[in-house]
Amino acid sequence: MAEQYYFITASELAQRGQTQIPDELIGNKHLIYSSPATLAFNSPGAQGFGVKRAGLAVPDSVMLLVAPRCCGRNTSALAAPGNLGERFFYLLLDDTDIVTGRHLVRIPEAVCEVCRSMAAPPSAVMICITCVDALLGTDMERVCRKCTEQAGVPVEPCYMYALTREGRLPPMVQVRKSVYSLLKPLPKRSDAVNILGFFTALREDCELRFLLRDAGVKEIRELASCTDFNAYLQMAEANFNIVLNQEARYAAADLEKRLGIPSVELTRLYQIDKVRRQYQLFGAAIGAEFDDAKYYDEAAEAVETFKKHHGKISFSVGEWLNGDPFELAVALLRYGFDVPEVFGTVGEGNFVWVKKIAQLSPGTRISSNLSPTMMLYKDNECHCDAFIGKDAAFYHPGIPGINWNGEEQPFGYAGIKALFSGLDEALRAGRENK
Amino acid sequence: MKGFLKQLSPFAPDNSGVVSALFELGGLIAICDAGGCTGNVCGFDEPRWFTMRSAVFSTGMRDMDAILGRDKLLVEKIVSAQNSVKAPFIVLVGTPVPAVIATDFKALRRMTEKQTGVPVLTVESTGVNYYDKGASKAYEMLFDTFAVEKLPVDQESVGVIGATPLDFSSCCAGRYIGEAVKGKAHVYGMGSGLEEIKRASANKINLVVSPSGIAAAKLLEKRFGTPWQIDVPYFPEELLAALPALEGKRVLVIHQQFAASALRKKLIACRAADVAVGTFFMTEKSLFMAQDRIFKEEDDPAAAAKEFNADVVIADRHFKKVLRDFKGTFIDFPHFAVSGRLWEAK
Repeated sequence: MAEQYYFITASELAQRGQTQIPDELIGNKHLIYSSPATLAFNSPGAQGFGVKRAGLAVPDSVMLLVAPRCCGRNTSALAAPGNLGERFFYLLLDDTDIVTGRHLVRIPEAVCEVCRSMAAPPSAVMICITCVDALLGTDMERVCRKCTEQAGVPVEPCYMYALTREGRLPPMVQVRKSVYSLLKPLPKRSDAVNILGFFTALREDCELRFLLRDAGVKEIRELASCTDFNAYLQMAEANFNIVLNQEARYAAADLEKRLGIPSVELTRLYQIDKVRRQYQLFGAAIGAEFDDAKYYDEAAEAVETFKKHHGKISFSVGEWLNGDPFELAVALLRYGFDVPEVFGTVGEGNFVWVKKIAQLSPGTRISSNLSPTMMLYKDNECHCDAFIGKDAAFYHPGIPGINWNGEEQPFGYAGIKALFSGLDEALRAGRENK
Repeated sequence: MKGFLKQLSPFAPDNSGVVSALFELGGLIAICDAGGCTGNVCGFDEPRWFTMRSAVFSTGMRDMDAILGRDKLLVEKIVSAQNSVKAPFIVLVGTPVPAVIATDFKALRRMTEKQTGVPVLTVESTGVNYYDKGASKAYEMLFDTFAVEKLPVDQESVGVIGATPLDFSSCCAGRYIGEAVKGKAHVYGMGSGLEEIKRASANKINLVVSPSGIAAAKLLEKRFGTPWQIDVPYFPEELLAALPALEGKRVLVIHQQFAASALRKKLIACRAADVAVGTFFMTEKSLFMAQDRIFKEEDDPAAAAKEFNADVVIADRHFKKVLRDFKGTFIDFPHFAVSGRLWEAK
């Protein structure tokens, strides 16, 4: 009988190995605690970038949510004037619909009504469907084709199937494919590339852009930077895609198959030497040699300056942040800080970092935000000097730190620099407030 | 077109109503969903989630759980969580997924009760109905299960049924209502907990402050003979201060029926020319007047304002979107179940 929240030390977890991860760390083995610490990633669509908001990443598109009212409820949060509210439409299902699927015949009419109600036709109508249609086995591709015929605008499905979250194609993977599915073949330009993976743009100061330009790339496109639908369509002329989030792999594979655009994958890392190594490998893959010395030095200096000002402090690292919490923890440990606890979802992709944490800090506690026992976590139960991540902030009211979950996407050396600059600011403000 | 929304976003669903009614009572609440419904409830419809801990969980259903009907696994998960939380009771809340696969909630209740030894309540909400329907089922089941002992009547004791943040748009509504009631008020689910519910038979009277409280009040009347009456004893000062200026005006009030009807009484007292009530939610016949309207679709409020020739509309400002042609005075009356907006944030 648990009377304390569940955690396992990095050392114990590493010894167990990837095949013996305890049930308490595996989401589908227990009830899910949707604490305020978890809302952005536990519930697709609740906060941050869920399927609904992501589906609207296509410029000038609108979304028709076809679902029971409970699925669309939180969209009210996006309904403020000037926000996305004006781009959402709803076809709500009743008791009979969810059992018989009779709503399907009304969707084309609803799409036509959406188009009629707008001053200018949308670039596309994204139809968002939910668990009900997953269970009914709805062929939404077919329904969308019928909608396109009747309404005369492209209509694409967005699958908000929370039921498939741990499946091969979870909702956030599917929606990444959906948002690029409207691209049509264009002649290729050797000096154009796309950056895939995020729904918001990379930081302005991210060196990846500068390095690519130095290598002769003239057009660097991201979905979030496309100001209109025509700009979006130009993404089809890219010579290759750079995938910065593994959830975009499926979309990249689809683009390669349909448009012949190959891709290369880079990982968001906070260990400065790994960032450098990754750029070297990337350069070799595309036949370029990147001169990253300036950016490397700036990032290294940011880390050193932070250490000088704040000493060997300890961090609580959460997973509601822009990065992998375990890799970030390794980076912090390697820079000489302490990491007494990490909140995260351990899996195939990051177990390697768990093993590294076990070497550097065997006593680090690893917990899952989703475990019901997290209800028993007392504020600041594991002492830390600062937090990184919005979930870690929830567990540590009163200590300084940064949410590090902003919409401007950190990457590479610029990400490291911004992280430590943000932490410095937060810790100084924390001291002033004391 | 039926069920089609161009301007409004969906109102709070029945599963949110269930959780809202039970949130403060200390039970383990398991929402039978894949995670999205719980995210909606906790992240949007339950403002207390950010200031108060409650054992609200998602069962984290996956496609294979739904297809194969793995009830045993679900019960194992609930038992495991109960071992940590040690709640006095457990509630299983329905969503669209169990509705589609026709989950046998009675069987789940028996299995879970047997393994945990605590009472298990099951509320078969579907996510397609409004919040009040879910809250109504929850209150009824709660009093049916726990208010079983007949106690001597305390002449000072007043039960208040139907108060939720979804209806009253404030996390402090329980305190405000309690202060406005004469006698020892027990605002169930907003300040008064499970022990007070067990002693409900001692109430001299039950006040029903929203339509969702009616079924429970009737049950208590039948079981213990406790009389009940509809009354909304509290309105924010800001709203009340706006009423005297409406003398001679024709006013349409859009809200849950009990709040809107109680406001009608106050408007009549302020010599408003006439007052109509419009609502999307549950209604009680005894309060319904000829000029009142039950809304089904988003165009209905505008049609009602026109038909009633209203000078003033009192409603959540979310409705302004569908009242674009209304040229009269609009007074904001937040309704959390509509807009997700609290008076505190106004």
